[in-house]
Amino acid sequence: MKNNNIWIGEKDLTKDEKFMEETQNEFNGLTIEKAQKAAESVQSNRRDFLKYLGFGLGAATVAAGCDIPVKRALPYVVKPDSIVPGVATYYASSFVEGGDFCSILVKTREGRPIKIEGNSSCSMTHGGTSARAQASVLSLYDTNRFKNPVLEGDAVDWNTIDGVVKSKLAAAKGIRFVTHTMLSPTDKKALANLKAKYPNTKVVTYDPVSSASILEANEMNFGDRVIPNYRFDKADLIVSFGADFLGTWISPIEYAHQYAKKRKINPKNPKMSRHIQVESHMSMTGSNADNRILVKPSEQGAAIAYLASKIVGGNGPSFGNAKAKTALDKVANQLSANRGNSLVISNSNNVSEQILVNALNNALGNIGSTVDFAGASMQRQGNERELSSLIDELKGGLVDVVIYNNCNPYFEYAKGGMLKDAAAGAFKIAMAFGPSETTASVNAITPIHHSLESWGDAEPKRGYIGMVQPAISPLFNTRQMGLSLLTWAGVNPGGDQPYLTFLKDSWKSGAFANQTSFVGFSGFWQKLLSDGVYNGSAGVSAPSFNGSAATAISRVTKPSNDELEISFYEKVSIGNGIYSNNPWLQEMPDPVDRTSWGNYLAVPVGFDGVQRFVGLNNLKDGDLVELTVGEKTVTVPVIQQFGQMPGTVALALGYGRDLSGMCANGIGVNINDCSITENGLTQYRNAASVSNKVGTEKYFSCVQYHNTFGVTAKNENGETFNADEEALGMAYGASGYQGALVDRSVVYTTNINDLGKTIDRVHHKREEAQHLNDQTLYPFDEYTEDLYSQGHHWGMHVDVQSCTGCNACTVACMAENNVPVVGKKEVSRHHEMTWLRIDRYFYGDLENPNTVYQPMMCQHCDNAPCENVCPVNATNHSSEGLNQMAYNRCVGTRYCANNCPYKVRRFNWMDYNTADIFPANQVPLNGEDVAYGADNLTRMVLNPDVTVRSRGVIEKCSFCVQRIQEGKLAAKTEGRRLIDTDVRTACQTACPTGAITFGDRNNKKGDLAKKLASPLNFIALEEVNVKSSVNYTIKVNNRDKSLDA
Amino acid sequence: MIHHPYFKNISFLLAFLFPLLLIGEPSSDAGKALFKNNCAQCHAKNMKARLTGPALGGTEERWADYPQQDLYDWIRNSQALISAGHPRATELWNEYKPTIMNAMPDLTDEDIASILLYVNCMYDGSCAPQSAAVTAVGGGGDGNANKGLGTWIYYLLAALLGALALFLARIITNLNKIAAAKEGTFIEAKTLTQILTSKGVITFLIFAGVILGGYTTVNNAIDFGRQQGYAPTQPIEFSHEIHAGIHKIDCQYCHDGARRSKHSVIPPTSTCMNCHRAITVGSNHGTAEITKIFASAGFDPNTNKYIDNIDEVHPDTIKAIYEKWIGDTYLSENGLDELDKEGMNVVDQQWEDIVSSLTNEQKKTVHGPIEWVRIHNLPDHVYFNHAQHVTVGKVECQTCHGPVEEMEVVAQHAPLSMGWCINCHRETEVQFAGNEYYQSYAKYHEELSNGEKDKITVENIGGLECQKCHY
Repeated sequence: MKNNNIWIGEKDLTKDEKFMEETQNEFNGLTIEKAQKAAESVQSNRRDFLKYLGFGLGAATVAAGCDIPVKRALPYVVKPDSIVPGVATYYASSFVEGGDFCSILVKTREGRPIKIEGNSSCSMTHGGTSARAQASVLSLYDTNRFKNPVLEGDAVDWNTIDGVVKSKLAAAKGIRFVTHTMLSPTDKKALANLKAKYPNTKVVTYDPVSSASILEANEMNFGDRVIPNYRFDKADLIVSFGADFLGTWISPIEYAHQYAKKRKINPKNPKMSRHIQVESHMSMTGSNADNRILVKPSEQGAAIAYLASKIVGGNGPSFGNAKAKTALDKVANQLSANRGNSLVISNSNNVSEQILVNALNNALGNIGSTVDFAGASMQRQGNERELSSLIDELKGGLVDVVIYNNCNPYFEYAKGGMLKDAAAGAFKIAMAFGPSETTASVNAITPIHHSLESWGDAEPKRGYIGMVQPAISPLFNTRQMGLSLLTWAGVNPGGDQPYLTFLKDSWKSGAFANQTSFVGFSGFWQKLLSDGVYNGSAGVSAPSFNGSAATAISRVTKPSNDELEISFYEKVSIGNGIYSNNPWLQEMPDPVDRTSWGNYLAVPVGFDGVQRFVGLNNLKDGDLVELTVGEKTVTVPVIQQFGQMPGTVALALGYGRDLSGMCANGIGVNINDCSITENGLTQYRNAASVSNKVGTEKYFSCVQYHNTFGVTAKNENGETFNADEEALGMAYGASGYQGALVDRSVVYTTNINDLGKTIDRVHHKREEAQHLNDQTLYPFDEYTEDLYSQGHHWGMHVDVQSCTGCNACTVACMAENNVPVVGKKEVSRHHEMTWLRIDRYFYGDLENPNTVYQPMMCQHCDNAPCENVCPVNATNHSSEGLNQMAYNRCVGTRYCANNCPYKVRRFNWMDYNTADIFPANQVPLNGEDVAYGADNLTRMVLNPDVTVRSRGVIEKCSFCVQRIQEGKLAAKTEGRRLIDTDVRTACQTACPTGAITFGDRNNKKGDLAKKLASPLNFIALEEVNVKSSVNYTIKVNNRDKSLDA
Repeated sequence: MIHHPYFKNISFLLAFLFPLLLIGEPSSDAGKALFKNNCAQCHAKNMKARLTGPALGGTEERWADYPQQDLYDWIRNSQALISAGHPRATELWNEYKPTIMNAMPDLTDEDIASILLYVNCMYDGSCAPQSAAVTAVGGGGDGNANKGLGTWIYYLLAALLGALALFLARIITNLNKIAAAKEGTFIEAKTLTQILTSKGVITFLIFAGVILGGYTTVNNAIDFGRQQGYAPTQPIEFSHEIHAGIHKIDCQYCHDGARRSKHSVIPPTSTCMNCHRAITVGSNHGTAEITKIFASAGFDPNTNKYIDNIDEVHPDTIKAIYEKWIGDTYLSENGLDELDKEGMNVVDQQWEDIVSSLTNEQKKTVHGPIEWVRIHNLPDHVYFNHAQHVTVGKVECQTCHGPVEEMEVVAQHAPLSMGWCINCHRETEVQFAGNEYYQSYAKYHEELSNGEKDKITVENIGGLECQKCHY
């Protein structure tokens, strides 16, 4: 079933009555009637008003007589050379959390880290970041952090706890060090010291979402227990079996950069890679794919085996999905045609399936080209079998001391409950950052630094090392994990900062000894820290494949006959619960289902042949259902998901925490223990049953339908009419005139084969719109020519083609511009404050659609409709083309938001920033006592160059005007013209794929000018003549329609 | 400010007279100015303490054995007298070498006489009491005089008009009476009470009251939160007059953020220590204020070293260090061997003052940052950048901060109101020449060269737009 237009969701396609009604209301849940009722209930009249006025004046007069509070100014005693108050200092460092890695620059102001930027000298990320890396700066100021060592529930000092731990370790029969993937070579050395001191220590490494099978398969096939260095930038054909490599799988920032490189369109010679995703639930990666082949979670193994049998040979498995089979036949042909530059990957946690993936890549000649072992990834090192056997060892009494290194296996691991019970008798030490299900039942807690307080290194890829250096001295009485290990091992490297000494010694005897460019170590060290990255030897390339596909084919997962299957996935934002205490990430909408603050059961959208959609059990968005997986039944809200395979549902891991911090507790439902285990490895799927609707989610926090404004309305006879046409009809008496207004230009999509035609169509439409726009009495062109011909004229270009929807920009924008977090309830009331949102549109096949992500922010229209309607001139235009917003002038009429065609203006309904003095106006995000952000610790993250808005004013994207002013000043001070690198917006620098380009339109030699010359560009809603300053590109896919048959 | 030509003339006259006064009789007032400019760097103002140079009190007695001209020559060029082998000169040189006193050949005999008069009167305390008024804020005496006169003129004008009004009213009443009398009617003269309670007067009074009240309310509302003239007491009685005025230390030596940051930056204590490691006793306050710097920095002036691990040193030890310093200085200033009662008082008082200035409820130790009182406050929603104005705009510090180099106590010079900012942006010319950044304003360059415009103001390049300062 095809749809020729774009749609935003099911309600849009079915013209859901409630939704259509909502689209007529600018501000949800605040109808005039309600306001009137409220006004009437107050029962005040003009006399009261005068009384209040009189009182107000009197109060103001009294207040005016009061003294102005004395403000203090504290200088340094000895000012550090590197700090100039008021000027940001940047430190090169790395974001490391388990296996997640991002090379970063930490922006600090007056010694406070306030923003994360990408490190462009990193050959892995190329300056890109992820939402998680962007949000990590907020975790530093997490009020839930452990602030002191804790022994048996009591805060103690380090000497006491070290004494107890040492004595326990010395007396232990067996010690296990449980950790996520450790990227730091130096931490591993410290761990070796501990093992040397206590020889009965064993390390148990696991990953929050296991990739153990890849490691095992590679060990068997290539003799190398690593994740290969996948090269998406060399792959013309990517076949991914369930691997969400753009969102969560292994090294998403790196992969997204490579992937986008292959997908950018040169209109003269249009060429792009083809990406085929085989999955049941639409992942972020799947949403970017050209083709999706739908298989049930339990069929994934059979699908891999089927493809392998076509290419490597051998007998195919029993595989009943005929549609997928036909498609995979064609995929096999295409793969064979792309030998050496294709890539097959899978997230299967089944060793045989991964052996088949290896066999496929080997047979296709991809080993050494797209599957490289030089620079192999170290970002997943977990062996969950060790964790499984730890349970037995604990039960058998072989282990009596367990150290948990910044991990939460009781929650993350499917058998966490068993582990917890088994460990009941052991002495447990948690080296932890904040409270978790695991730390709740340990004997000793040794709090660790945040990575922005730590020294260290990280080796995400073999031979490629990112340095970690502190950007602030520790805020609390915490200690670096490595130093704790050294202390317990009885090693004291000496110096003021013993771990730094240890780190330096480690580098001195390592990389420094093997190089010749630097004679002295201090020069080497300085360079290392200022670069933030070190390139060493990447290791050997292309080992030969050694394995049997035929045996593996017989050992893949057998497809199950269950009527309904559920798959469990990791969200781009909070992962498997690791980041769930971070409000920025909780509030960030999921790219695909656009929900925030919770996990929603994705159910397929059925189609009954007419224009009517029947979801699973007739469920609608926001309905509560009882989901039964195995023994467990949970009540969970539903979201209808296009592209979800019929007969399957999906739910995110990592939610429903109860022993964590205030932002994580009670959000969503916990199904981490519902995954099944096969061959000793966790399979993130199960059979499930879903009840009928049992209720409605109280706060349905999905933002997909927000900011939608309908052009259709109902007249008094109940007939639907097009408001645009009607309005014009009334004005000109010519109904249907100016058809362009009905067919709005929001996004344009095309297949790469039709690119030429689409460009022509878009240009035709643009010309038509421009012609209509020219019909004016107002000499707009002369005016703009006069105004913008000199100085700056800011503009932006968004390459929709490169945007993967990862939301790094959204979080970066929140960090840069002090955008408040509003919480679940407020999101459900359409009150989210994000200045930059990523709109998601579906197009194409209704049952298996393609997706467009469109970052949408203030378009800084040169003919801005918002400006004309402001009664107090709080929003107006600058000579540089910026649509300015003066918060202190705003009186909150919200006319501007009414009149904005892009719906990018945000109103502070409440005191989200806890900026005013009335607690009644402050909203707790999640039932906490002190409103979030009202404490001085959290407020340390605020950008001092951006005003913190209070209740009752409108705000919106400013094109990062603070950065514009800073960049201009830099150019002026140096007495030169402004260049591109002087001003880069927060969203631009955050983007891992370079989708956003900001610049001066008057700079004809700049990057923006080049981008603006592309024939792929269009302006959203150009026909409404607002003269937007943002250009978007046509979204091009490389879908092979023959696969759909 | 209203300018009155005749007053300009008077100040012109004064300007002529002032130097004449100086040239005439030697006076201790003239000596004070000369002393400040030429001697105060090395000689204590109380004439009793020994700084870099000796205490000057009693100089004339010590030189009484020699002709007066010797002393004058000595002051003008001491090295010459030493080379000539003058016995008193040699004696002093042996005591103070290798410190050389600067040669000041420009000093006239009258100048020196004035200085000596000032030295003597400071030494025996017979100087005329210092005038209480510190340099007036917001302009010199000329401006004040103008302001006073302006107000008086208004009062005078108001009185004249009032009298005229009364006079006219009287005439009208009389004319009415005459007219009435002609017609045969007789108007009874109203009593004062009747006049005062008449509708017209009451209406006028209410009207005037509303206007006046409204005016005051609006004015006060506008001024709410503004603090022009704000001159709070600081924890250290730091004198910009001495540092920036007399010693001509560049503003940006201490406020080094102004050229490169949004903040001008209050200097760290370490910047003070750059000079005050050598200048250990102040000319105005002796040890009372400079010791605060030592205490903040953790510097022991007795040993000329920083105190090691100051966080671990017992507060009593720290107290002892600074009390010893104050005491020792007192002894050497007064030439005593043991602290007398007054000396003990001085030590106690100064230490008490140090503690109360440098500590508060949060900060218990004297070492650590000095908590200055911030004078120039902008609201949080205003972005101001010093570098933009100082480095790019080349605006003098004094344009906004006033004559700080003349302020003993710094006061806020400008209202720092938005209107004040805007006005300056309207009038100030952009430093177009020599800054390649402004090349992007091609049209303005063209208009400048063909004479269409004679200057480009900040307003022309968007300096009045909201988001130049509010974001």
